[in-house]
Amino acid sequence: MSKVLMKGNEAMALAAIKGGADAFFGYPITPQNELPEYLSHHMPANDRVFVQAESEVAAINMVYGAGGAGARVLTSSSSPGIALKQEGISYLAGSEIPCVIINVMRGGPGLGGIQPSQSDYNQITRGGGNGDYKVLSFAPENLQEAVDLIKESFPLADHYRNPVMVAVDGLLGQMMEPITLEETEKTQAAGKKEWAADGGYGERGYRNRIASLYLDPYKLEEHNLKLKGKYDEMREKEQRYEMIETEDADIVFVAYGTMARVARNAVQMLREEGVKVGMIRPISLFPFPKKAFEALPERTHSLITLEMSLGQMHQDVQIINNGRYKLDFFGRTGGVVPEPEEIVEHVRAALKEDA
Amino acid sequence: MKRLTVISGHYGAGKTEIAVNLAIDFKLDALIDLDVVNPYFRSRSVHDLLTRHGVDLIESSLPRSSGSDLPYISAGSRRPFIDTSLRAVYDLAGTKAGAKLMRQFSSLIDAETPLDFFVVINVFRPETSTTEKIVSLIQTLEGAAQLRVSGLVNNSNLMRETDASTIQQGESILREVSAETDIPIVYTFHPENVDVKESDFSGTVRPLRRYLAKTWL
Repeated sequence: MSKVLMKGNEAMALAAIKGGADAFFGYPITPQNELPEYLSHHMPANDRVFVQAESEVAAINMVYGAGGAGARVLTSSSSPGIALKQEGISYLAGSEIPCVIINVMRGGPGLGGIQPSQSDYNQITRGGGNGDYKVLSFAPENLQEAVDLIKESFPLADHYRNPVMVAVDGLLGQMMEPITLEETEKTQAAGKKEWAADGGYGERGYRNRIASLYLDPYKLEEHNLKLKGKYDEMREKEQRYEMIETEDADIVFVAYGTMARVARNAVQMLREEGVKVGMIRPISLFPFPKKAFEALPERTHSLITLEMSLGQMHQDVQIINNGRYKLDFFGRTGGVVPEPEEIVEHVRAALKEDA
Repeated sequence: MKRLTVISGHYGAGKTEIAVNLAIDFKLDALIDLDVVNPYFRSRSVHDLLTRHGVDLIESSLPRSSGSDLPYISAGSRRPFIDTSLRAVYDLAGTKAGAKLMRQFSSLIDAETPLDFFVVINVFRPETSTTEKIVSLIQTLEGAAQLRVSGLVNNSNLMRETDASTIQQGESILREVSAETDIPIVYTFHPENVDVKESDFSGTVRPLRRYLAKTWL
């Protein structure tokens, strides 16, 4: 298939269809509405299920039901809607039900605004639900990457039997970019899910039971350790990142999503001034790409975290830093997307202070 | 150019960029933003630019509400139909929902009204990639707006990856649409940095300046 020009939300919806989503359950919220709108036409046209639920809470519980029955399930929302879904996400993780969640972030807290933001980092990586659980999460920088990650998320969710979240900010949801969706590419088939509550006894001779309830504390502890084993496997296998001009970098930006797009320009502008700047672009948020920092050259002395929030990912940078680098932060929030010049100005001011 | 131009099309076709370009290039008196669908990239987001060019931006009844997606239409949107000294462009939201908003002016429009209803097409948008799909879109828009489409606008592009052959693919498909519907291709837009041979394309060939999208993104 040749290139097509698509709006982020449409492209992500189409990617979910190509990725083999059997069912979508969701509730409208700006700035992700084109996603369910697109699916409302195209899921039925492809003999798949589309349901607009009566609320986010209902939608995530429908995801639980359909996912538990063995279907490949998708839901999507934006920040306050994801907050509403957190209880269900904890139940999905606890019951080991795979699903894919697309989060098109907007400004918060509370109802916040409808302009782009990255202030969901904490609720993506730390969860808003209860318990020792993690959500495998990715934050693409452009639409092609978003499409590819969504297609990959369905088999990953099945593999880990865990929710996978793909998080973009509203700008990526609303912007247009050319993408390719290889028609010939066969997504890894879901295969028979032996654990699914499929309504029958199967060859096992008994009905599967899906629940997150363990009244015996020793059994619950054992269950938690089993879950931890999966999160450790994610930490080992799923750390994803891009190193941008870090080979000779004295200063390294840490930025993801739209902020990384802005920062790419700042890297070039500063390099033209002779400041050797590079960037680590986390693609996986959980697991946080620790390996990227281990690959920095000896000469790197400072890390500057850049976010469209007041410093949420920065906490993860602080955790892995362990006193090694001088740390700094620059962020805009509330729906403001900074211009590259603001980052350049921030670096110039920091350099002046150091001199 | 007629006194009133209405810009319609599938969403993501480039309607707003084209409306803003026409308003500035032809020094129109007003741009009426009737986009009640999109939360971002609306002409109201370039309010200051339009003001500098002397274009009056008539938008939501909650002016400058770029942070809102409430479908409030300003009563000022009727002005160009009443004050016949005004030259204006109407920027509709995409597809049927957007085109329907023109019906509120039905009682102010007759056969003598100097009005063009243009449909912007980018053949790289999957919903308008073939002659059949475009003809069907034209019929849908005409029904929704209760207006006859009077011109096709070729805005076929792949953003930064656009070259002359990209626009040429749009030209080929739109020629078929034109033959089938008897609607002429009135404009062909190309990115400022892409040189095209004017004689290869139909209608007025014009560069499109990108005012809404941040080019560095």
